[in-house]
Amino acid sequence: MFTLLKDLRRLRRELALPRSDHGHDPGNDLSRGPGHTPSRSLAIRHVDAGSCNGCEHELTLTAGPHYDLQRFGLGVVASPRHADVLLVTGTVTTRMREPLLTAYAAMPEPRMVAALGNCAAGRDVIGMPGDLAGAVGDILPVDLVIPGCPPAPDLIARALLDLIDHDRRPGAPGITRRRSPT
Amino acid sequence: MTDQVISDYRAGDNRVDGHPAHNHQADNYQADNYRAAIAAALAGGWRVRALYAAADGKAVRVVLSEPGGRTMVQTARADGTGSVPSIVDLAPAVAWDEREAHDLYGLSFAGHHPMRSLADHSVPLAEWTVPVHGHDPYQVAVGPIHAGVIESGHFRFHVVGDRILHLDTRLFYKHRGLERAAEGGTIGRALGAISRACAACAVANTVAFATAAEQALGLRIAPGTARARALLLELERLWNHLNDIAAVCAGVGMAAGGAYFLALTERARRLNATVTGHRFLFGSVQAGGNALTLDAGDIRGCADEIAGLRSAAEVGWRELTFNSSFTGRLHGVGIVDAAAVARLGVVGPAARAAGVAQDARTASPYPGYQDFSPVLASTAAGDVAARFEQRMLELRQTFGILQVLLGDGPVAPASVLTDQSAGPGQPVGVGLVESPRGATTCVVECSGDLVGRVRLRTGSYANWPAVAHAAAGSLLPDFPLINKSFELCYACADR
Repeated sequence: MFTLLKDLRRLRRELALPRSDHGHDPGNDLSRGPGHTPSRSLAIRHVDAGSCNGCEHELTLTAGPHYDLQRFGLGVVASPRHADVLLVTGTVTTRMREPLLTAYAAMPEPRMVAALGNCAAGRDVIGMPGDLAGAVGDILPVDLVIPGCPPAPDLIARALLDLIDHDRRPGAPGITRRRSPT
Repeated sequence: MTDQVISDYRAGDNRVDGHPAHNHQADNYQADNYRAAIAAALAGGWRVRALYAAADGKAVRVVLSEPGGRTMVQTARADGTGSVPSIVDLAPAVAWDEREAHDLYGLSFAGHHPMRSLADHSVPLAEWTVPVHGHDPYQVAVGPIHAGVIESGHFRFHVVGDRILHLDTRLFYKHRGLERAAEGGTIGRALGAISRACAACAVANTVAFATAAEQALGLRIAPGTARARALLLELERLWNHLNDIAAVCAGVGMAAGGAYFLALTERARRLNATVTGHRFLFGSVQAGGNALTLDAGDIRGCADEIAGLRSAAEVGWRELTFNSSFTGRLHGVGIVDAAAVARLGVVGPAARAAGVAQDARTASPYPGYQDFSPVLASTAAGDVAARFEQRMLELRQTFGILQVLLGDGPVAPASVLTDQSAGPGQPVGVGLVESPRGATTCVVECSGDLVGRVRLRTGSYANWPAVAHAAAGSLLPDFPLINKSFELCYACADR
């Protein structure tokens, strides 16, 4: 056990994303510069609306030692009632449309929706029209698109860390709907 | 009723440089009774690999294979009312296949009763669950949205106290109609659709499809293509097995072990990106050809990283196996024994963990598998501990195979070789590949150069009934661990 813990400590020192408040790596996009202290957190509820499982596997790795997004206040929560962000993967299937809407309705406000991966964004969709309800944006208002097939964990990390600093108080300027270059 | 068998699937002659390319030659099987033909084949050592509705929904085809790798396809035409005799009593493994053909193609199966819906989610609860009566049973409904980062699917547990009496699984929430989307288009387009079925088994699924398509079209692949495919299949198994070991650790709540093997999974996926340009090896398999290029430097780098992963995995494994509070949690939980494996048609690590030495690689013509024989977990108990150990034993095999394959020098792109002696092709092509979760069967029917019908029956699809079987009698709080010890894909099953 000690061997495992020692190796994980080494891994974190050598490879993990720099903690933004340490400012180890000013050149890194993830760094907010010296002196920045993350004071907020973001609770994420993931919903697989019809993915190929690729986005799930990459999202799982963002909790692994190389990224460990919990250190930055980002955590996947068990219920949409505890969530700030609904992180949706896959083109929404007809069978997942209702569960997705139910999860969204259960969220407290203010709430955000992020579409993870190209399928969720409605790009390169493959499937039968009768089995698909559409892209996430056809069903829910999407605040953030994280493109990729699937997006690698560092891209997911970057996008979610970007989101964490947005002011979500009522009356604050909303997040602009962002679209990455196609 | 008259059961009609049309066995129009003839021995193929697809070869990789002298070796049978697919080992999927079929006998002409003539019989006047569908059920009798299937029963005779099963008695002769064949096993059912898939059952599916023909594209027009007017016939059912059954794909069988024997241990040597030969396959045959039996066809039963539906009568005027769209009914076909069920074979679920002969081969319980086809229960899901028949239910799927019923829900998606409108066929009915005489003798399959009750016909509970599988893909049709419009029916009321009582019509798709098994009635459970007795003293104080109650139901626990989980999903389709789960509490972690997990794919969507619905589990309905029938429970007394903490004890699971029965589990009804309802999948197909992620059904995208990928098979139908693949039909009517070119082989290339169909390959694209099939590759999207599942990221975790993308190589296995596309190699199975490519093999079937080549057989149907009468194409012969180059030796370099065969080697590239073996390499890709084992790279896919490498990251999956590392991930599955981490999953069992997570199922127990062993954070250090989970994090350690998750870190190795990340390394393996970065290796995939280095080798093929994609972390899940997407786009690296072609029908008839090979897109993978590895020069001497790539080979060296790949071999070095694989050696590093191998020693790191051994270190982690030693630490886990010496941790008795962890291993004590795994024994005797979620048992699927050899009898259940045979009855339910369980495949892959789950079957081998019960002592059943079945692996599609034994009949594979690809290089790297010539002397392959399946490795079996030491206890053969079919419990979580055995499935956990099975992953590590197979990882060691995979490391060995990868080293052999990489030792053969650079990999160059290869194009289609059309072999006239292979003939004009066959009405039905079958691909059988061992995915990280077990034998995956892909059937391709071509009409001209276009795809008429595709059926992808993955290892996950074959094994989902085994998860329900393992859960029955177990404690509800053990279910996450049991489920993780199979680590099946929902995407693969739903398509």
